[in-house]
Amino acid sequence: MNTVAIASSELRDLYATESARIQQEFSVTGEGNVALAQRTAVVESILLRLWTEIISAEPEGPEGFALVATGGFGRGWLFPHSDIDLLFLHGDGGSEDAFKDSIRGFSQELWDLRLKLSPSTRTLEECERFDPGNVEFAISLLDCRYIAGERKLFARLREKTVPRLVSRESHSLIQNLGEITRSRHHKFGNTVFHLEPNVKDGPGGLRDYNVSYWLALVSAMEKLRVWPDPKALLPVSSRRALDAALHFQMSTRCFLHFRHGRHDNTLTWEAQDEAAVRKIGASDAEIANAADWMRIYFGHARAVHRVSAQLLEEIPAAWSSVYRQFQSWRSRVSTPDFSVVDGMIFVQKPDSLQDPEMLLRLFHFMAEQGLKLSTTTEYKIEQVLPSLASTPPRGAELWLYLQETLAQPHAADALRAMNALRLLPLLLPELKGIEALVVRDFYHRYTVDEHSFLAIEHLHRLKDSKVDSDRRFAGLLEEIEQPALLYLALLLHDSGKASPLENHVDASLQLTESCADRLDLDPVDRETVRYLVHSHLEMSASMRRDIFDPANVRSFAEKVGTPERLKMLCLLTYADIKAVNPEALSPWKADNLWQLYIAASNHLSRSADERVHAENNDATLAHLHSLAPVAGKKINNFLEGLPQRYLRMHSVSDVLAHTEMATQLAKDSVQLSLKQVRHWYELTLITPDRPFLFATVSGALAAWGMNIVKANAFSNAAGVVVDTFFFTDRFRTLELNIPEWERLKQSIAAVITGKADVSRMLQDRLRSDKATAPKVKISTQIEFDDECSAHSTLLQILTQDQPGLLYKMCSQVSKHGCNIEIALIETEGQMAIDVLYLTAAGAKLDHDRKAALEHSLREELDRKSAR
Amino acid sequence: MTKVEAIIQVSKLDAVKDALTEIGVEGMTVFEARGHGRQKGHTEFYRGREYTVDLIPKVKLEIVLADAMVEKVVQAIITSSRTGKIGDGKIFLSRIDDAIRIRNEERGDGAL
Repeated sequence: MNTVAIASSELRDLYATESARIQQEFSVTGEGNVALAQRTAVVESILLRLWTEIISAEPEGPEGFALVATGGFGRGWLFPHSDIDLLFLHGDGGSEDAFKDSIRGFSQELWDLRLKLSPSTRTLEECERFDPGNVEFAISLLDCRYIAGERKLFARLREKTVPRLVSRESHSLIQNLGEITRSRHHKFGNTVFHLEPNVKDGPGGLRDYNVSYWLALVSAMEKLRVWPDPKALLPVSSRRALDAALHFQMSTRCFLHFRHGRHDNTLTWEAQDEAAVRKIGASDAEIANAADWMRIYFGHARAVHRVSAQLLEEIPAAWSSVYRQFQSWRSRVSTPDFSVVDGMIFVQKPDSLQDPEMLLRLFHFMAEQGLKLSTTTEYKIEQVLPSLASTPPRGAELWLYLQETLAQPHAADALRAMNALRLLPLLLPELKGIEALVVRDFYHRYTVDEHSFLAIEHLHRLKDSKVDSDRRFAGLLEEIEQPALLYLALLLHDSGKASPLENHVDASLQLTESCADRLDLDPVDRETVRYLVHSHLEMSASMRRDIFDPANVRSFAEKVGTPERLKMLCLLTYADIKAVNPEALSPWKADNLWQLYIAASNHLSRSADERVHAENNDATLAHLHSLAPVAGKKINNFLEGLPQRYLRMHSVSDVLAHTEMATQLAKDSVQLSLKQVRHWYELTLITPDRPFLFATVSGALAAWGMNIVKANAFSNAAGVVVDTFFFTDRFRTLELNIPEWERLKQSIAAVITGKADVSRMLQDRLRSDKATAPKVKISTQIEFDDECSAHSTLLQILTQDQPGLLYKMCSQVSKHGCNIEIALIETEGQMAIDVLYLTAAGAKLDHDRKAALEHSLREELDRKSAR
Repeated sequence: MTKVEAIIQVSKLDAVKDALTEIGVEGMTVFEARGHGRQKGHTEFYRGREYTVDLIPKVKLEIVLADAMVEKVVQAIITSSRTGKIGDGKIFLSRIDDAIRIRNEERGDGAL
């Protein structure tokens, strides 16, 4: 047996014994950094022994040749199943030829020892050459470390070659590092919060720690032209968090390698269970279960991700003039409160953050502009949080800022930042339970909080999507009256997942109630959010049934109740499924969702005339009676014969108010109420039915310059109508002149009672209105349907919206002897969508009447379009 | 060995899965599918636009079985997915030469 063979045999024994010892020690201490250092030392001793056996009897010989550790081995981070990165460094090509066979033998021995080698052979000159196709090699030199051979040669590499290479190629290196990192993050959905994260390559993993270090190193070396002090590289404010994260992640990855017996860095559920029991990386923490341990993991990963993302922004991915111009443009969005430098937000007066309002405005600014917070700003926020914790903002003021923030295009990023800084759970403690919460199923990929933020992000992204199927949903989003309620529901829909209750929806509902109290939501808004959270699985459940089965559609649509809720629920379902994992909302599923939406929407339009009967055992009626027990009979009288749709569209408080108005009809036959609701006005009219009523009121509003965006009209068995008009005030008449509120009501009462002539009022208005060409041309469509109602003929008209349109249309309807039983009027952009349930002499319209009415309507609408 | 491919209604997937589990079928592959046989399409109008669905959403199951199990599985699928209406779906059977478990290279029925 020759000496190499003897050495080989000894080394195999040494390696096996030492590896077992390191593993044993780790199983007791769980200290990853110690295990890595020990393994690095063992491998180093093996290399030295082989070097002296095969290459040179002298560890520091021969001249012109050196063995260099690079990459992870160079850093001294040799994980149990990591590759060993080695550089065979030659002074020149002659040495390379001379040692070719020896290097082969050396490598062979290592492979025989089952050490995974990643060798490269270069001359000093080749090391200085930058290869854009192999950036990894240049990066690996940043961690170079002497092992054996000529020390002077290694010193030339480290002190001259590497600084020269890095100084010269710093822009390319940083640009490439940025691209590689972004592409790696993209593979992981750009989020730290995976249910089974990869502790090395996932965002916030060990690779991101390395990237942060390399970015800082290259940047410093470019300026200094020598190796900087490694301790001063990373931001002081983050250093402690990064050190803690590194310690934890080293132990975790080490644990995974030992556990899996191979180079596998996935933190599987089973591994999480075991890590929690063994308190890997967190021996002092209180850990009751895997979820607790994972929260610690995510806390560390988030810190690493935050620093790497900041450095990737602060040390620009490229120094092109375009990039600088873009950054300069972004700095122009600075305000008196916030300045923007290189895409980062700074607070002009840092002490102002002690004011909670300023803090809320900061995140609103972030959500609006899509910018990141600077490290200084984050540090300042962390400082003010303890004082904020005693009296956090709440009530209407908090809701005002929160709803404005939720509606901004980058709301999800702002929420993530608030969450990372622990501000979000402070403002909304209802979300504490789902913070970094891993819920195990084979469907979800992200933690519960990240899933909720992602769902909000997907809705915002809809606006810019070019995908046809997304455009449909984007159209719905534009129609939603209060998108902030939808976003709030998305934030809360899974808030109960941390609860031990079997059904997380019940727990989410409890937390929604608590949150609604905290935000002091008005009763109608509270009910909407409550409904969405309660029903967030309803549409998915209906999609598992036959979406073309009328019974399924009917059952689903009736549970939803109103078109507005249907739109919100559809969008919530879209976002909820899409945020589960990137493949969850397949085109197949998205199409099924849309089909169910349109079927249910059509059902709601075409089943509006099912009537309320007081003797029926209806939950809404029972609720009304419980709220106003003395008014029971009055309520019954008022509701008898009103369409069910009326109950679905109006809140309980509205119904009670309408009942009261109806009882006043004996004193005054025209009961009107006018109020401002968000960005529009709402006029409710209760009066005995009479011909031309709906047309007359529409005309009067148009004559006042009001733009009717939505309306509905219902009548009860006693012939009392409840008409509601939602309109915008084109000329700000009501906003600027409070007395005009009363005058408008008087004017409407006058036209209803025949004391004023609506057509003359309207003519004056239309004459003064300048005709403007519509931006989008909508061709008129008129459709009659006798099938969907037992008593009425449904007329659906889609046409170009114009001032006075509703008056003209409804006047034609009345002129043809038709009674409007129900009217459902909506506007979508420049398209008016009007559904009228009509009767003539108490029956459906006959063929001749329909033909004559269609002819007149077309003539009227075409004339208007041509105007 | 036989491969069973069943195209069924989406709404019947849970019932079929339960029925197969009950008779001891441990694994299956499920695909989202679209198609039609005699059951033709469906048209809805929404906001004046026509949405025609000529390929109806279905679910396709694939199971490879030992021959002894085939009839039992076919009956379980039929019983749990039949409504008696057009559109219930179809079952296709085809011969499979061999099956190999990648983990341990086990072959034949044992690999199923």
